[in-house]
Amino acid sequence: MYGIFRECWVTLRQYFGGYGEPLDNFRAYLYIIIFLAAAIYIAVRERNAARRVLLGFTPLVMIAGFLFPLTKWAYVSKIDPPVGETYYRILWLVPVYVVIAYAVCLLISRAKRYTFKTIIAVATVFVIALSGSLIYTNMYMTKAENMYHIPQYAINICDAIKDANGEGQVVAAFPTELVYFVRQYTTDIKMPYGRDYTDWTQEGYFHPVYEAMEKPEVINAKELVAATRDPEGNGNADVRCKYIVLKEGRKIDTDLTTLGLKLVATVDGYKIYEDK
Amino acid sequence: MLQIAWSVVRLIFWMVAVPFFIGQLFNFILPNDKKRRTFGITYLLGLLIYFAVFEVISIPCMILIKYDAFKYCTWIYGVICVVLAVLGACRYFGFLFTEKEDEEARKIKTSLDYVSDLKSMKIDTKIYFGIFIALVFLQMVMSLVYAPFDGDDAYYVVQSLQAQQLDVMNTVNPYLGRSNLLSHEYRHALAVITMWIGFVAKVSGVHATIVAHSVMPLFVIPLVYFVYYQIAKVLFKDKKDGTGRKELVPVFMIFITLLMMFGNVSINTPATFLLMRTWQGKTLFCSLGLPMILWIFLLMFEDVEKVREVQGGLKETAKVAAPWWIMLTLVNMFSGMCTALGAGIGAAFAALLTLILLIVSKRKTVVLGAAVSVIPNIVYVGIYLLLQRGLLHTIFN
Repeated sequence: MYGIFRECWVTLRQYFGGYGEPLDNFRAYLYIIIFLAAAIYIAVRERNAARRVLLGFTPLVMIAGFLFPLTKWAYVSKIDPPVGETYYRILWLVPVYVVIAYAVCLLISRAKRYTFKTIIAVATVFVIALSGSLIYTNMYMTKAENMYHIPQYAINICDAIKDANGEGQVVAAFPTELVYFVRQYTTDIKMPYGRDYTDWTQEGYFHPVYEAMEKPEVINAKELVAATRDPEGNGNADVRCKYIVLKEGRKIDTDLTTLGLKLVATVDGYKIYEDK
Repeated sequence: MLQIAWSVVRLIFWMVAVPFFIGQLFNFILPNDKKRRTFGITYLLGLLIYFAVFEVISIPCMILIKYDAFKYCTWIYGVICVVLAVLGACRYFGFLFTEKEDEEARKIKTSLDYVSDLKSMKIDTKIYFGIFIALVFLQMVMSLVYAPFDGDDAYYVVQSLQAQQLDVMNTVNPYLGRSNLLSHEYRHALAVITMWIGFVAKVSGVHATIVAHSVMPLFVIPLVYFVYYQIAKVLFKDKKDGTGRKELVPVFMIFITLLMMFGNVSINTPATFLLMRTWQGKTLFCSLGLPMILWIFLLMFEDVEKVREVQGGLKETAKVAAPWWIMLTLVNMFSGMCTALGAGIGAAFAALLTLILLIVSKRKTVVLGAAVSVIPNIVYVGIYLLLQRGLLHTIFN
């Protein structure tokens, strides 16, 4: 039970700071403390009983419930087996922002002088900025290159394939960095493997094209072509890759053109090979 | 250029005008009070009905129709919504359903209480409102300037695009493009918000990825802050003796916007979801659905005294209490439409708040209201379980 409690505590701490975003522990703890202080302040100082319960006691009870091992046990066994990856979503039920903002407003409304009110408001802005992290500095934020909000090179490569292929759907193999974007741009291009392989490689999934194209340091061209021509090993023509996209400079033991493929275009540092 | 302008007009029609007029048709549901039957709340009601109708049409289409399911869904839904919106417009402009309305009710119908609020505001309150609006505007602009990367888009956004381009509803694997059984997608299939984005894309002629990444943030971000604004209005409502803290509303809203902007403390917070993956169902649930549930319960807590004072039994009591339970039912439907988890934890949140309401109000009928409001969640979970076990496929094929 103590082990589960520790897990819940780590999830809670990481929710307030650190999960997927490099944030020091100090700021994570500061955020938790600000939130708990705000909830306690409302629970103690709010005169309206309903608000005191809703924004003061309830969030505290919810946090306690979140840390309670049996809650996690029930969540993992009934809702999200086997490890309860989404357990943190229970914390969405806690109106953290409303509680903090309301507590500060309560504090402001209690202050007698206008100067104090202003000091509290300005100090809060600083505390929010210091305990948090600006969303636009997130490592996954990049400047938009187009209205699709996907990299322009991905669009150019897809357009080149569509130009070469003409009407209809086609299967093409892409390097990992492109698999996220191709089908967000066009459903005319199918892929032998997608994000389901590239993001969960630790799961031990196997796909011959991914194994031949992405795993080795130097691609074995014959193995790659054999895999793209018959990914399922049963001659199914529907899954045969007509195009292979490789980044320029990707190490490969033999030029693909010597194996019967044709280099149809080089776009934004990517070579597009056609295998008729 | 003309084509872009035409697409913008169509987007405004389907995302703003249609839900607004649907709201006008059904705003008799809302209390007959100019503080509660405002333009904004009417729009919100219309939007929730708009989503609920989509859920009711799209799920049967997805399950029952084998080929071109999305084409049928688009037509049926589009026609029904246009009919409802036209009826709503007729009601709004006074062509229909006007016999019973007196002058007062007509005034309430178009209540813009923000304008009267604005007139009575002090100059510093106006400045704070200006800062708040500027911060929201900044977030909207930044949602166009920046393109956050999220791997889940390879699933959700592609589902919308496949619906638009291939007329399929969750029956093609979005990662690969190969046909798939609906039961294989059971975890996400009932969260039809992806299909709704596909619908908007189709009827407006805009690529679904553009709708998701560039249009949805402009639609969702103000909507989320509108709900928080409603929460603030309840929290800082003037007291009976005339003393109020209404001037704190914009200050509260500034703090909320800043907490969102500086909420990048982990990738799991509602702030990162709202500003980095606005278009995903999970975001709509945690940033819009849950605050709406909180707002509705704040209103119900507000009305406890009013309900207590009502004379004339259950029918009269229902007139005061029922609007918010109906809203809650619609929000519960919306939660399920956003994410399967939403149908469960949204209902759990509502159940917890109902328990508190029961204790505070000492009124047993709140349990009845809560029970009715979770009926959509129960139906949803039932369909989910059938889908998960592959039974729907067996029954209908």
